[in-house]
Order: sequence, then structure tokens, then C-alpha cells
Amino acid sequence: MIPQPLIDAVIVLALFILRIGLPLGLLMSIGYWLQRKLRPEDFESATTFDGKLTWRKRLGREINALPAWFPIVAMLMAIGAGAGVYRLAAGLGASTNLSQAYPWGLWIGFDLFMVAFSGGAFTLAAIVYVLNMRQFHAAIRPTVLTGLLGYASVLIILMMDLGRWDRFYHFIIYPNLNSALFEVSWCILLYTTVLVIEFMPVALERTRWERAKNLLRKLPVPLAIVGATLSSLHQSSLGTLFVIMSERVHPLWYTPIIPLLFFISSIAAGLAMVVAGGTLSYWVFKRSLSQELVGGLGKFIPWVLGVYAVIKLGELVYIGETGMIFSSGVYSALFLTEMIVGVLIPIVLFALRGCRASRAWSLVGAVTVLFGILLNRFDVAWFTLKPVPGYTYFPSLIEILIQIGVFAAIVFVYTLVGHYLPLFEGLAPVEQTPEPNVFRPEHAY
Amino acid sequence: MNLTRRDFLKAFGLSAAALGLGAKFPAAPLALAPKRAPIVPHGGNAMLMDTTKCVGCKSCQLACKKKNGLPIDDQPVSLCATALCYVDMKNVSPDPSKPVIQPIKRQCMNCNDPACVSACTVGALQKLSTGPVVYDSNRCIGCRYCMYACPFGIPTFEWDKQFSLMKKCNQCADLQAAGQLPACAKACPTGAIQYGRRDDLLTIARQRINDPQGKYVKHIYGETEVGGTSMLYLAAVPFQALGLPALPDVSPAEASQMIMHSTPLVAATVATVLTGLYFVTRRLTAQPTTVPVHPHIGGH
Repeated sequence: MIPQPLIDAVIVLALFILRIGLPLGLLMSIGYWLQRKLRPEDFESATTFDGKLTWRKRLGREINALPAWFPIVAMLMAIGAGAGVYRLAAGLGASTNLSQAYPWGLWIGFDLFMVAFSGGAFTLAAIVYVLNMRQFHAAIRPTVLTGLLGYASVLIILMMDLGRWDRFYHFIIYPNLNSALFEVSWCILLYTTVLVIEFMPVALERTRWERAKNLLRKLPVPLAIVGATLSSLHQSSLGTLFVIMSERVHPLWYTPIIPLLFFISSIAAGLAMVVAGGTLSYWVFKRSLSQELVGGLGKFIPWVLGVYAVIKLGELVYIGETGMIFSSGVYSALFLTEMIVGVLIPIVLFALRGCRASRAWSLVGAVTVLFGILLNRFDVAWFTLKPVPGYTYFPSLIEILIQIGVFAAIVFVYTLVGHYLPLFEGLAPVEQTPEPNVFRPEHAY
Repeated sequence: MNLTRRDFLKAFGLSAAALGLGAKFPAAPLALAPKRAPIVPHGGNAMLMDTTKCVGCKSCQLACKKKNGLPIDDQPVSLCATALCYVDMKNVSPDPSKPVIQPIKRQCMNCNDPACVSACTVGALQKLSTGPVVYDSNRCIGCRYCMYACPFGIPTFEWDKQFSLMKKCNQCADLQAAGQLPACAKACPTGAIQYGRRDDLLTIARQRINDPQGKYVKHIYGETEVGGTSMLYLAAVPFQALGLPALPDVSPAEASQMIMHSTPLVAATVATVLTGLYFVTRRLTAQPTTVPVHPHIGGH
């Protein structure tokens, strides 16, 4: 008789190979094929160099060309992958600190934030293609890639979060149109597809597949409209998730219009992501939008955050519960931090012309916006849930390692794509401003 | 959620609908989503627990475990994946030095308008017109949204398993369909648990609380809470002391479904507005020397 644990182990291994190993292998072979297609000179020169260059030397040469911190990122990713395999093999109870009172935790908070963060892709696409502000076009590619990686990471984490992850496709064949999570799943599926298509030009640019390229040239405007529509649905349906939890979420955050608040704040988070990305890619990849354009995007932020604050506070005024803002102890502190650091400070910063003209101060402003949204999502999904006697929640080591691994994977893929594909093609090399990270009002445009 | 907030949503939804020309096609978006389960006229079948008659023998808990094939040798401290019915020994005395124990049987309330059914991503939970809220374990993906949606925090999760699913009481829907009593009602030696038609049980319960010599709190818990439940409680002490939360008379699913049903309208409005914006801004920004539509792709 075969012991039960052995059967379980074999089943898990088989499922793992089928559902993770196989797609990953496929993806890697496509990557290899693409690279042969895109940079045939690598493969040719490698054999003709002196006739002795082995694949090992070739690999070494490629790795040497990557940034020095790359191995650390790869290591974190590998640790995360190991933790992920353990989670899938051991089950949720053994690998996480989730419980009856806190069935969702760190991962859902991350998903909520990551989707808002990836809102930059639909916001920028709408600005460039729908509002016809073509001057921002050069930032599209890095932003779409960030959005795509953000959504891909959310998909991985959602898989980790399912008790029956092997049935992840059930939302397609067993729909429940009343469920907010059903809408979230579908929108993530559809919008990830849109992002993949939007990213295709980068992957295909150096190939000679003219027919596909011709087709893609006609798509940006319809894709931007479809993408923004899907995003408006599912950024808000992430908020709808919590409308049904009226007995659990603290009244300072609970409101039936939370979907609207999630949607508006995702636009702010998306813009902040593009602004922060502008400065970071200036420092890391030495290529970026001109600061004039980054500042131009930053100009939208006070308006978006202003509308957000008016609706959020207006609803509290309407129901006559403004007293709660100051009388709820630790919840008040969280709420005020969110509103002051994440809303008030960035409104002031991006309203100042001097700040918008400085790369460093733009980054500071963008980081405060992102911090505010991050705190808001974790407040709604975790921090402000009504406590249940006998239960507390803090993520386990495995949860945290998987989370770090996913972040590392985003950096890993982004760096590789930036390295091998024409990601920053439209971006001018670094503009000629000395010491751009110093706030100098005289540089104001 | 208090009343003002719900009214706010209604006002908000109406203005949004008016903006989106919703008045022209009001029924179209709603037709896509399934209607809530119709309950049979007498409210289906239900159970009434009179906590004053309960002696805390836990026969119901044991009978439930046997009926559902769960291990009977453990000592659950709350509802869990191995105890779908749990007798909670509540200390209801305000004075900590003189404890007064009042047992109460806890299990799924099988709501009339269940939030879990509305929330379930894959429609694994369904409300039967006869009363029970049943669960299809072949559909469930283990997302645990039902656990958060439930205002009573009832659904439990098989945390110890490798592939985990949800667990909850369904008032023995299979036995009910066969014309038998649910296992717990059959096992109760004191008659504290009664099973029958919901309107009959409400009549019995009203007689008891209206009895002048009665010791009961003048409220039937579950008659109106979150739209009514198929589990009714009577007690001599405040229900909150027994661990039953004070809840509004509408299901949390109401606001959520109102928003979900407006989804097609929102999508159509956003897509229309964006398309309009595209044509307007294209005309505004059109110049004699136009910028190439997409300078990168093959444009070199």
C-alpha cells in the first residue's frame, strides 16, 4: 500500500509541472526563440569569435553586462519561488498566518495596491491616445511594461491565495454575475490581455513580421479605450469587494461609494508611478522623459487628488460623521496619515512649479502619493477590520518571502527587458541638466 | 451600514444613471444579472432555537459531526472545518466573580438574502427556495470571499489541508429533501431546537415572547436581521451577550449588488465618453504638420 503523503506529494509535483513548470518552460523557449530572432548577431558572433567560445562563456558575457545588483534580485526571486513551492505543497494553514477571522492578509493588500500602481498604464494610454497629448508618448513603453508586470505579479499572488489553486479557471466556466470578485477576475484577465497586445510592438520591433506590425499600428486608440474602460470597471470593483463587508471595515473607510474612491485614487497612483518611473529610469537606465514632460504629468496630480479628497471627506460630511476623523484613536491616526501624507503634501508639492521642475522633488511627491494609496489599500483590506476576540494577524515568513520574491521578479524581468528589448527607444538620452537631484528653483521652466 | 449611507448610494446611483442616459434603457443592465432566489411564500423551512431550554449537552454538535462524517474525538473551541455546529458556553453574567453560563448552538444562519451567495466568485453557494443555503464543493476555488462577506463570520476553511475548501452547515438539505429532520434537531433531547415551516415557527416564537409570565427578550433574532434568516433564536438575555451581532434589516448584499448591476451601464458610459473625447481632442489638436500616429512601430 502506498502511503497517503507520498500520493499527495506526487499529485502536487504533477500539478506543479503541469501548471507552473510547463507554462514556464514554454515561456522560456519562446524567449530563447525571440532572442535568436531579435539578436542573431549574438549567436553568430559567439561561434565565429574564436571557434572555442562555449555557451558557458557566452552566458558569462551576458551576465557581466547586467547591473551589479542583478544577482541579489535573482536570489530573492529564487527564495520567493522556493517559498511558493512550499506554500503550494504544504497548504495555506501550514504556510500562512491567515485564520478564521483574517482569511485574507498581506497578499490581498498587495494585490489592491499593485493594481492601483499599475493604473499608470491605462491613465497614460488614455492621455496619449484618447486625449491626443502625443508629447507624452515616449513614456508609454516603460509604463505599459510596469503595468503588465504588476498585473502578472497579482495573478501569481492570487494563485497562491486560492485554496484550490488548481481550479483557478473556474471563474470562467462558473460565473456569478453578482460577485465583485468575479468582475475583478474577469477584468484582470481581459486587461492583462490588452496590456500584452499593447506591449507587443516592443517585442516585435526588431523582427521582420511586417503583417503583425502593420496590424498593431492600427490598434493603439481602440486598445486605449478598451483598456481604460476595463480599468475603470475593475479598479472600482476592487472597491466593490469591500462594500459587502459592511460589518467588518471601519466606518471611516467603509462607504458604498468606495468603488469610486478606488478608481479615482488609482488614476493618482498611476500618474505618480509614471512620475516616479521617470526619475528612476533617469538614474538607473540613464534615459527618461524630459523633466518638462514629467512635470507636465505631475500637474494633473493635484486635480485628481483634490477630487478624491472632496468626495472622500464630502461623504463623511454628508452622513454627519466628521467627528470620527479625530475620535477613533489609532484609526484616526491612520486616516489622518493617509490624508495628510498621501493627499495634502503631494497636492502642495505638485502645485509648486519649482517642485515639478526638479527630478528629486517630483520623486518625493510621487512617493508620498504611492505611500498614501498603499496605506489606504492596506487600511481597507487589513488594518481597520473590526477585531475578532482571540484572533490577530501578522504575515508569516513564507507570506513575506513570497511577496519579496514577486517584487524581485518584477525588477528582474524589467531589467532584462530594458537590457534586451527596445524599451526606451523613444526616450532621449539624459538631458543636459547638472546635478538633477538637487532642488534648484532657478531650473523652473 | 447605516440608512443615510444607503440613501446616499441610491441618490448617487440615480445621478450616475441619469448622466449615462440610463433612463433610456433602465432594464437592460439589470437583466444580465441573476435575480435573487425567490423564497417560497411561507419562508421555506427553518429552525427555531430556544436558548432558555438548552442545557448544553452538545448532543446536536455530536450528531452534526456524525452526519457530516467529521472527526468526533476533538474538542472544538469555535466553529471550524471539523465542527459545523458548535455549542458555545457563554458567560452572560455582568459580574465576573459570579459566572452564569448560557449555552447557545451556533451554525450557519441560512439567510434569506445571503451575502455569501452574492459574493461567491464561482456561484458555488446557492439559496434553495425551501430554506437551506447549499454549497457545491466541486465548484469552490477556496478564495474565502464568503468568509468576509458573511455578517456572522460563519463559513470556515480547511486550513490544515493541502487543497483547502470551505465548510458550513446547510441545515441538512439532503435530509430535508427526504422529508426528515436535520440531524441536530433530531438529536436535541430538550426540544430546544425545533424544525418546521418558518412562518409556523415565527408564530410559536411570538406566542412565547408575548407570554406575560415569560422571561424572554421581546425579540426574535433572525426574523428581520439581514433580511431574515432560516435560523431563529429566542433568549432570556440580550442576544449580543450570546455572541449574536446587532445587524441592520437589509442584507450586506444589497448595496454590493446595486453596484454590480450598474457595471454594464458604467462600461458603456466610459467607453462612449472616451471615444467622444478622442474625436474632439483629435480635431482640436489637428495641425497642418501632424505628428505620426505611432512613430515607433516600423516607423524608422
